[in-house]
Amino acid sequence: MAIAGFMITGPAAEQVFRVQSPWLRSWTMFSAIGVGVVDASFEIRGPDGALVPLDRFEMFGAPRNGRLKWIQNREDLASVIKRLCTVAGQGADIRVRARLGTRGGWQAIHTDAENACAG
Amino acid sequence: MPKMPAPADAIADWRPTPAMAARLAAWAAGTEGSSRSSALIRIGLAMLFWSRWAGELLLYRDQSPAGLFLAANFFLATALLFVGYHSRLAAVWTGSVGLAMYYYFGFELGREPWTHHHTYLLAVAALLIALTPCGRSYSLDRYLAVTRAERAGVPPPAERGNLWGLRLIVVQLSVLYFFAAFDKSNHAFLSGARLEQIFLWFYAGSDYPSGLAWPATIVSVAVVALEYCLAFGLPFRATRRYLVLPGLTFHAIIYVTLPVYTFSATMALLYIAYFDADAVDKVIARLQGIGSAAPAGGEIS
Repeated sequence: MAIAGFMITGPAAEQVFRVQSPWLRSWTMFSAIGVGVVDASFEIRGPDGALVPLDRFEMFGAPRNGRLKWIQNREDLASVIKRLCTVAGQGADIRVRARLGTRGGWQAIHTDAENACAG
Repeated sequence: MPKMPAPADAIADWRPTPAMAARLAAWAAGTEGSSRSSALIRIGLAMLFWSRWAGELLLYRDQSPAGLFLAANFFLATALLFVGYHSRLAAVWTGSVGLAMYYYFGFELGREPWTHHHTYLLAVAALLIALTPCGRSYSLDRYLAVTRAERAGVPPPAERGNLWGLRLIVVQLSVLYFFAAFDKSNHAFLSGARLEQIFLWFYAGSDYPSGLAWPATIVSVAVVALEYCLAFGLPFRATRRYLVLPGLTFHAIIYVTLPVYTFSATMALLYIAYFDADAVDKVIARLQGIGSAAPAGGEIS
């Protein structure tokens, strides 16, 4: 009974009552994996005024399975945007939609309402 | 006219019937059965310990006194567990090594991923198998016991024992499934968002694949529903027959898609604890054409 009780109280304490201790084992597998991942999509305004998808790998001539595959955080996203704007040239209109993975779901961190290269 | 009891009174008046309590107690602590299924788990656990850590614990890897002490204990304890010499003591030793890796080397010294759930599960499984007659079959202990019996001119000891350790493994697995499902019972997971994040993290990078949303939502709901079903359904024969295959498939998919190390394999091995030990024994006997340690009448369930 004591052993079974310990099996139950450990995760109950941490997952129900939020008691944090390494001595108590919760069963929250992969609860932190994916948190912090950035989902980003890019569009660029063409000569005809229409927005078309922008492939950042093609733009940079970078391999699709390289470092650029994962945008690590907000700072990394800002860096990618800055580089895209530089490569696209002065006056480019690049729209960026990005969201950040959190434990509570997705959190928008960049909208495509404005030109990311402006300012 | 008698007054209806308030809900609180109804709860206070609720008592499990003595027959139910007696059945539960008999199931939990009073069941004797074949030791062969416990022995299979013992051997499987030793192999899982090796497959997970033998490479990391080779003597040249960490030549500090603590590292060498850990490695020596690891290889001695798991070797004894595998061959089944002083099997239950070896299981306690192996489990203690696992807990030392988890608590001391993992949490205290920061060695990762030794603080992960697969480490804890293996350590606890080794400790729980020590509470079973895991050395009475398929072991050096058994060989020596048979040899002694032959010398003494008496029948060899029965390959049987109390199975309360297997019951505790069943409780551990159900608790694990329940709290794993409980952790996911929120909008973030059930909407599919958390699964999408995990998919991007390991596979897609920062480019969301088109058409991912619906499958992610469906799979998320299915995973949570399955985990609750496994928690409450696997211990019972009537529901187990429908859940074993989905449960094993679930772990197989996780094993090949995510870095869960030995977790899936450990879970699959521990599924043996769900089955009636005598029924497992009969299957082994039938497959190998050898005598069964179990009394007649059991069926695999």
